[in-house]
Amino acid sequence: MTEKDVTPRRKTLVEEGTQFKGSLSSDCPIEVKGRIEGDLTAPALLVSPSGSVHGHVKVGEMRSEGELAGEFDADTVQLSGTVKDNTVIRAKSLEVKLTPLKGKMQVIFGECDLEVGGEQAQKKEGTTRPADVVRPVSVRPPEPAPTSDITPPANGAH
Amino acid sequence: MPELTADLVLRKIKSGEKVERADLRGLAMPKALLEGVSFRRCDLDGANFEGARLARAVLKNASLREAFLATADLREANLESADLEGANLQGANLVGANLSRANLEGANLQGADLSGARLTHAQLESAKLGGAKLVGAHLAHADLGDTDLSTAKLDDADLTNANLCGANLEEASLSRAQLRDAQLRGVSAKGARFLEAVLVNAALATADLTNADFTGADVRRVNLAGARLDGAIVTGARVHGVLGTGAPIQGLRAEWADDSLDGTGTKRVNGADVAALLSGQSAIQKRYFGRGDVLRNAHLEFEAGASVEIESLFEQCTIALGDDAELVIGKAGVLAGCQIRGAGRITVHGKFVERESPGIQGPTQLVVSSCGSLTGAVEQPAELTRFAFEPGCMLRMKIQQAKKERAAEKAVKGGRQR
Repeated sequence: MTEKDVTPRRKTLVEEGTQFKGSLSSDCPIEVKGRIEGDLTAPALLVSPSGSVHGHVKVGEMRSEGELAGEFDADTVQLSGTVKDNTVIRAKSLEVKLTPLKGKMQVIFGECDLEVGGEQAQKKEGTTRPADVVRPVSVRPPEPAPTSDITPPANGAH
Repeated sequence: MPELTADLVLRKIKSGEKVERADLRGLAMPKALLEGVSFRRCDLDGANFEGARLARAVLKNASLREAFLATADLREANLESADLEGANLQGANLVGANLSRANLEGANLQGADLSGARLTHAQLESAKLGGAKLVGAHLAHADLGDTDLSTAKLDDADLTNANLCGANLEEASLSRAQLRDAQLRGVSAKGARFLEAVLVNAALATADLTNADFTGADVRRVNLAGARLDGAIVTGARVHGVLGTGAPIQGLRAEWADDSLDGTGTKRVNGADVAALLSGQSAIQKRYFGRGDVLRNAHLEFEAGASVEIESLFEQCTIALGDDAELVIGKAGVLAGCQIRGAGRITVHGKFVERESPGIQGPTQLVVSSCGSLTGAVEQPAELTRFAFEPGCMLRMKIQQAKKERAAEKAVKGGRQR
């Protein structure tokens, strides 16, 4: 096993029990275990089962097992969890897996719009791309914060 | 008598002389150190190399009929096109050896380690491979007819197009093995494990597959005519196009199986239906609308549990699905300006464009595959729709909740039935 394999990649973590309101922009992936309300821009977004994101989101990759509401623009989306009413998801690629007949529902969709594939590719030029370059591996956040990012404390939690 | 004695052979090897093409019949060199030595095209019939160290040795085109090579170290040896008919290779180490086109007819390879060995086009008819290790071995086009492979480990092996007719595979392990187009007629594979193996187009007619485990295996278009599958496990197997056994199957264990054409998991069949499907006695009658047909302004109703596949062009049509009816819009299927209603399961490989919103009303399941496209609104039933979308699908889709009046109407109807 190489050093890279054992050292976690840098990410912004919104820990369970944390609520954030406002605009959040990050050049590293964001993991949400708590709640975010507002605009969010990042190369990647992971919403954990306990997490929720309400607002306008522009990301490269998005994987959600939590709750989504608002407008979401992404290159690739993997969904499970809940999509609330009045939500719009625009993506080049969307994946929702089929669950066994007697299993828990993979995604509970409220009233929402899905715009996936085709012209979506051209519409989303402003979207932040996923991190193409391997970032320096560190568990500590960058210093100083480049914009209005949330920079996690040393333990990575808010 | 051999042309050279063991001492002379060793002397020649030490002095760097070649021993290729020599007549060495009956040569006795047990436990000899012969790593990397070339015996290319030598006649070594009946030779004794028991326990010899022959790693990376070159025995290409050599004749080793009835040779004694038990426990020999033949790692990465080149035995391409060698004649090993009746040879004893019991417990030999043949990891990474090249046995392509070798003749191993009737050879004894019990307990031998052939992991990663190349055996493409090899002749292994009636060979004894009981307990042998063939993990990741390359056996494409090999002839393994009537071979004893009981308890052998063939995980990740490539047996594409191999002939295994009449072979004994009892308790053998073939997890993730490639058996596409393989001939397995009349094999005895009781308790064999085919976990996630690929058996597409394989012939398994009259095979004894009692208690075999096909969990997650791809058995599409397999011929099971006359085969025995009692007690077999087929959960998660891909079973589309299987030619059934022709007789009821006892104790088949299957939580579900995938009956989709392309094995993408988009068409699940459950429990008893799997047994019916594999026995070829499925009660479900499929309606099929083929390519090139055009249907306009039609209203179609399908009863509960019906199975419908559309590869045609439907324009301005209304389709009513009974409870749990299945509708598959095939890759060539186009439903333009159409509406689908009812508590059915819908899979879209082709195109669907709605006429009036909601274009799809009340489905229990909606799957849009990687080549599917859906434009329109989907109104979920009160108990919600199970959705699945594959990467590559195209969606311009509104998801709506059940209209209150329709949900209430359904509740009243349910109450009356009770």
